[in-house]
Amino acid sequence: MARHAVILAGGQCKWGVREAHLVDLFQEGAKACFDDIPTLKPKDVDGLIVASSYAGRCSFQVNTAPVVAERVGVKPTSICTRVDVLCAGGSTAIILAKGLVEAGMADIVMVTGGEKLYTPQKWEVFYSELASVDHDWDGTNGMGLPPPFFSLTAQEHMMHYGTTKEQLAAVSVANYNYAATNPVAQMQKTLTLEEAMSAPIVVPPLTLYDCCPITDGAAACIITTDEIARKFSDRPLVYIRGTAQVCLNSVSANFPGAHLADWKHTKLAGEKAYAMAKVGPGDIKVAQTHDCFSISEVIEVEEFGFCKKGEGGEFCGSKQIEIGGKVPVNTDGGLLSCGHPFGATGIRQGTEIMKQLQGRARHQVEGADIALTHNLSGANAEHTVLIYGREPVK
Amino acid sequence: MSVLGIPILENLYPSTMDMWPLEAKEFNRNWQFYENLKQGRLTTTKCKDCGLVSWPPRVICPECYSENLEYVDLPSKGKIIVFSEEVRGVPLGFESPLIHAVIDLGANPVRRVLSRIVNCPAGVLKRGDEVQLSVFPVPAMPIDKGKLGTVMFERVFFAFEPIKK
Ligand SMILES: [Zn+2]
Repeated sequence: MARHAVILAGGQCKWGVREAHLVDLFQEGAKACFDDIPTLKPKDVDGLIVASSYAGRCSFQVNTAPVVAERVGVKPTSICTRVDVLCAGGSTAIILAKGLVEAGMADIVMVTGGEKLYTPQKWEVFYSELASVDHDWDGTNGMGLPPPFFSLTAQEHMMHYGTTKEQLAAVSVANYNYAATNPVAQMQKTLTLEEAMSAPIVVPPLTLYDCCPITDGAAACIITTDEIARKFSDRPLVYIRGTAQVCLNSVSANFPGAHLADWKHTKLAGEKAYAMAKVGPGDIKVAQTHDCFSISEVIEVEEFGFCKKGEGGEFCGSKQIEIGGKVPVNTDGGLLSCGHPFGATGIRQGTEIMKQLQGRARHQVEGADIALTHNLSGANAEHTVLIYGREPVK
Repeated sequence: MSVLGIPILENLYPSTMDMWPLEAKEFNRNWQFYENLKQGRLTTTKCKDCGLVSWPPRVICPECYSENLEYVDLPSKGKIIVFSEEVRGVPLGFESPLIHAVIDLGANPVRRVLSRIVNCPAGVLKRGDEVQLSVFPVPAMPIDKGKLGTVMFERVFFAFEPIKK
């Protein structure tokens, strides 16, 4: 009988500026995960995949997986490794875990991600961000911190499709308000359109609430097969139906679209994941797309086919991303409001989608049965998509 | 030079904290790019077997995997397609205003190069403005040569600047 991968449980620690070491955060993330499934114990876990990109630079720790395994009390026998795909690390680890459990090479894999980015002196993380882009060719132009790149992206979307600043602000308002009551989010405040429109400038047209913060935090989830999952939980099973990861360039000059607001690689990743999952854009009831900037979410809803290309501004500006809209997006607050400890983000997204498909999310989308998660990583260099569902692909 | 909090790093060079490329021949097979830059030439590699011009330069053609490459000149003048200006909160290593631009250098693969605009105050640039190559020195790289001691290797990098009318 075919083995089908499911996400069995998940959780995250409090995200934000944390008075903690990286390995402390990983312990908190693992606890939040096991708290979500009291029947499962660390001894039941046979595999560990750790997603962390800044462990080497900000915590002076490479080969992070054994360190995390020991601290969280698991003793892997099938796999024990780390992945580094920056913002997509958590999602990548889920994809790898799915492959391993479906191949029979692992049974119960803990996927965990975390970053400790706030160092004793503030300059260091900002400076280290030069390592997030192609060091010699983009970092040297001061593109380590992403606001300038996404300012250019927003301007080109405005130039080609007439998108307005108010439509960008609508994304921030929706995502902030989703997280206002989320106790583990970095930002826990309501936001009005007026506040968003009058916020301090970062890089025009981007202002404060258009940009996700820098975040310390960790998250963990359990990937196993449906058959094993049934031994531990009576909750509805949440299958990982389709996955894709597309990389067409690294250096910004080789961006694959006709302009910076034309995300061909995003579209390709969506199409490939839809095909594997045997669903289409119209089937997606709730999504977690990578809102590192408000403009990102505007473009993503287009490239994933929730609306036509160029109409993302109108889609987001007319409440289609909110509860009751066509496709509620980032229902836990997204990166803009939960924060973005790179390797942990995909696990937060997967956990929120698991809860949505099990009917136990904070902002529940009624009848959610098929959902999508997405990450953008680097200087818009790679796109990662997962499609989850209440049923396996038949 | 001392490093605050880490006295053992006094007078030592941590290349893992260096924001500029390790341009010297000992550490970079594309060292010729930087030597050309020192002559005021923006260049890249072209495959002599399949003809592919790559950006950035390579040591192996990504299309046909030939190692038979040559440096060719790229246009040193172009037009601004779109630009961004960061005035406050500019990161360490860069001065305000930090201006980025997508520049059309007129030929593939550099029809849309994302670079920095220097020698330009905030608030004066317009889309469509013409810009030209600007080469500037960046800090020299200290290379430990054993018995010969530490040799300082001079380095440059490039950006673009408005063409004065
Ligand atoms: Zn070739």
